Amino acid sequence: MEVKVTNENNKTCIKISGRLDTTTAPQFQEVIKPLMEGEKADIEIDCSEMDYTSSLGLRSFLMLQKSVNAKGGSLVLTGMQPNVREVFDITGFSQIIKIQ
Amino acid sequence: MLIRFEPITERCAEIVEQLMSATEMPQDDELLFRIRLCVEEAVENIVSYAYKRGDGWLEAETERIDGSLVVTLRDAGTPFNPLDIPDPDITLSAEERQIGGLGIFLCKQMMDSVRYEYKDGCNALSMSIRIETNN
Repeated sequence: MEVKVTNENNKTCIKISGRLDTTTAPQFQEVIKPLMEGEKADIEIDCSEMDYTSSLGLRSFLMLQKSVNAKGGSLVLTGMQPNVREVFDITGFSQIIKIQ
Repeated sequence: MLIRFEPITERCAEIVEQLMSATEMPQDDELLFRIRLCVEEAVENIVSYAYKRGDGWLEAETERIDGSLVVTLRDAGTPFNPLDIPDPDITLSAEERQIGGLGIFLCKQMMDSVRYEYKDGCNALSMSIRIETNN
């Protein structure tokens, strides 16, 4: 898995490539940790090259959404692949995280 | 195929990879996605929680039975039926949702059946998914 973080016009853009699984979820958690600890943030996560997520990956997305809601920022996931989208749908995460 | 792993601490990824390379696995990418996810969730639970005192073993069996793939995971850890974990309430808001508890729920939703039994001092979790459509 690869995670790239860039800042554009006060928006934090994250691109995840590869598999978000037991091995790599802790790495993603490290990337989002400063965002959760920092001030209000607008975050866009490009999921177009994310092939897979396990429940550990979902856990990170939920933690990030909780943090964003608490601070009044925004979080949007874009370009999600159908298989991954199904995982978000089954777990109800499509209802609590904005997916475009 | 039957494989025994011992020790298992911090070997989740390796165990999943070995299981996914079993000859019984289907070719279809969508099925493989589902199977990988459920195998990973189940193996991760065993690796992380089955043995409270030190390390132990995990036995993984893959079979094709009547057009279905059956993956059975056995361990000699603390007796624990993961099917007893209540399903998460997926209608709650982000604030109300609890972190975690999604792994076994995903297995139940994505496989055709998930069964648990405690037999001969071992936990045994069997997950089955139809992989052949022509019979």
